[in-house]
Amino acid sequence: MNIPALEISNLWFAYDGVRVLDQVNLVLPAGDFLAVLGPNGGGKSTLLKLLLGLEKPGGGSVRVLGQPAGQAGGRIGYLPQFTQVSASFPITVLGAVMLGLVRPGLVWFVGRAQRAKEREAALKALSRVGLAEEAHRRLSDLSGGQRQRVFIARAIVSGPELLLLDEPTASVDGKSRQELMALLAELNRDMTIVMVSHDMSTVDGCVKSIACVNKTLHLHADSRLTPEIFAQAMGVSLVEGCPVELLAHGPVPHRVVLDHDSPDCCGGAHAHKKNGGPSA
Amino acid sequence: MMEALAFDFFRNALYAGLLASLICGVIGSLVVVNRIVFLAGGVAHASYGGVGLAFFLGLPVLPVTAGFSTLAALGMAWVTLSARERADTVIGVLWAAGMALGIILLDLTPGYNSDLMSYLFGSILAVPDSDLWLMAGLSGAVLLLVALFSRGLLVMSFDLEFARSRGVPVRFLHFLLMGLTALCVVMVIRVVGLILVMALLTIPPFMAERRARSLPGMMLLAGLFSAVFCVVGLYLSYALDLTCGATIIAVACLGFLVSLAVPQRRQPATQRGAA
Repeated sequence: MNIPALEISNLWFAYDGVRVLDQVNLVLPAGDFLAVLGPNGGGKSTLLKLLLGLEKPGGGSVRVLGQPAGQAGGRIGYLPQFTQVSASFPITVLGAVMLGLVRPGLVWFVGRAQRAKEREAALKALSRVGLAEEAHRRLSDLSGGQRQRVFIARAIVSGPELLLLDEPTASVDGKSRQELMALLAELNRDMTIVMVSHDMSTVDGCVKSIACVNKTLHLHADSRLTPEIFAQAMGVSLVEGCPVELLAHGPVPHRVVLDHDSPDCCGGAHAHKKNGGPSA
Repeated sequence: MMEALAFDFFRNALYAGLLASLICGVIGSLVVVNRIVFLAGGVAHASYGGVGLAFFLGLPVLPVTAGFSTLAALGMAWVTLSARERADTVIGVLWAAGMALGIILLDLTPGYNSDLMSYLFGSILAVPDSDLWLMAGLSGAVLLLVALFSRGLLVMSFDLEFARSRGVPVRFLHFLLMGLTALCVVMVIRVVGLILVMALLTIPPFMAERRARSLPGMMLLAGLFSAVFCVVGLYLSYALDLTCGATIIAVACLGFLVSLAVPQRRQPATQRGAA
């Protein structure tokens, strides 16, 4: 496929006259796995909304899968932030995944044959995320990590070419996070993935490139974490040589961890102790 | 109960209660899962302006109130979409304004006397045949609209952001849901009265939400709970000579407490209970 997954040129966007995104340029080849990092309020979520066509750009152009933003429909799989869904909503796991097959517009008459097809597609998506066994349970009976995988199943049930994920690993525990990232790496074989995250620990082997968004966008076509990336991602200036310093503290003064200048810390090897960082 | 059924007014009361239960099960479920109970309360109270207007102009109460409430509901829907951060305040204002308007219009109506209480606390024992037909018509219309847009309403109720990303017209559906809520409120005013409308819209759906496995299932179960409350409440009010609307709500509240006490089926990971 020669059409890039994303083509963004000279994009800007303003809320109430204040530009939250400016001069954003990006060409993302199909098959990539992009992690979008950046400080809160840096414009990550706005960028995602622009890609989905939920917000109109102030200027510049956004093309998604070769089409104007908002027109690619089911070719894009979307995972909104975790907090959107009420925990007590009466729906089965299978029912929730089938909602990913909804079409634009108002009225749908779904015949029996169509419904059977939708069920089958939903079951396939569920087995892909390893939850086929749970298909007929109530969604509210699942754990947080499992529920997140159900929503990934809903995002991929339409067979998308591009997967947009908003903070997929927020509010799940460490083990589930690893499982989620392994699942995403596997899905990446079939589709391009763009993942918004403020969680640096998600940027491991499976991510292929990194974009730092803080009003403007810096693309690093390489998933190696460099001090510059951390500085950009945390929205601070590069003052320290060690990324973890920035990761754990940003510009906040040290309290829990020894300062890196201290001779007791790391011995130059950056072997950080586990109780390292107060998380956000 | 049997001898009571011989009276036309009691039969009409029963029909009105069952119709209201049906519609409250459907709309109340949507109201609860979309977390717009406060909006529904606003519509219910603002609709009092419609009652006042009908008396003032000497027009039939139900149609005028239905029109007035629908307009108020669409106004509130517009406010929630366009001024999100101050929406609750504005709805509070509309809530109070509607009630005040209703009372002032009633004050200005010559010869007006006792009906005020009946609209505050319900007048289920005085439902004429014509109102019953109107209620049936409204119920049919509401059910038809919900069925027609069922999938959009389900997707929106479950995950607004996702629905929007898939091109589901959530703005339109929000207006639709508020309009349907208004119609539902107008119907239920007849049965339990304005003040107690919220109880029928929220208690049965709340009890059903934790026990159902789908949104239609929740609607059905809520309607069933509601019908039981209405029938039992009607009978008790007849047997004990109590105010109907208040008795129905008392029964509902009792059911609510019992429902809290009965542990819901929380399935551990290993055992899967059949629905």
